[in-house]
Amino acid sequence: MKAEYINPFYLATKDVFQMMLDVETDKGQLAIVEDMIPGKEANVVLGVTGDLKGTILFSFPKEMILEMVKIMSGMDVDTIDHFVSSALGEVANIIGGNAVTKLTANNYICDIVPPQIFIGEYRSLSMASQQALLLPILTPIGKFDINIFLKEK
Amino acid sequence: MMWKEKYKIGVPLIDQQHEELFKRVSAFIGIVQNKMNWEEKLESVKETMAFMQEYVVFHFDDEEVYQESINYPNLESHKLEHKKFKQAVENYAVRLDTEGYSEELVQEFSGRLMAWLIMHVGSVDQKIGEYVASQEGEI
Repeated sequence: MKAEYINPFYLATKDVFQMMLDVETDKGQLAIVEDMIPGKEANVVLGVTGDLKGTILFSFPKEMILEMVKIMSGMDVDTIDHFVSSALGEVANIIGGNAVTKLTANNYICDIVPPQIFIGEYRSLSMASQQALLLPILTPIGKFDINIFLKEK
Repeated sequence: MMWKEKYKIGVPLIDQQHEELFKRVSAFIGIVQNKMNWEEKLESVKETMAFMQEYVVFHFDDEEVYQESINYPNLESHKLEHKKFKQAVENYAVRLDTEGYSEELVQEFSGRLMAWLIMHVGSVDQKIGEYVASQEGEI
């Protein structure tokens, strides 16, 4: 997978966290994974279609998304209810939309399929036995993973 | 939802409406998320929702009139963003009417609304302020 596919997703994540949450992000160590596994409690899957096809999986720990929603709403939240999961899905959708804009600037015309949200489900996502890239993101409010699986049409 | 100084675009009419919009959506979320029994608060949920929906449309219209008045170059794409969002709100309104005001559906709507509003005001609308500032620089 080329860096030019990955960077737009990292940069979009950085921009959106900065703008919406006032939270700074850093890249962790990139890794290749055989399976895309939602390894944390709150997971959002975005489908990518167009010049690039594939799946982006955001996997967040529970405490982190509760803190994200607390920052956005200004209210204490203690459970992942539909309000929390839907806010999280929209944030991921916004990151995906921004990443697609950046991909377009690199001449990859893509679109994002509306997010699917999985809470507390650890099933792995089928990628037809192909490898994905795991990009850990470090923030002062927690660490989460972005799994990226994209291939050219 | 916290209103932040960084959301201001420097156009008082728009800034005041954005702040008001944040207050209304906050009030809506406050009611949806309080621990009261759903049936007991259903009437207030419906009232705040109607109130807020009306204000969203009112604000979008005002913002578009303002953008036209300054010959805003991104008017069409901005209108499209508003249109898509109004459509999403309408779709929820239809679902709530037909499927009933379930707590899950209202929560889902309020979560999306909150995130969308922060993004739209904090990012997309900032470009209006940048354009106005650039035009003033040329006078």
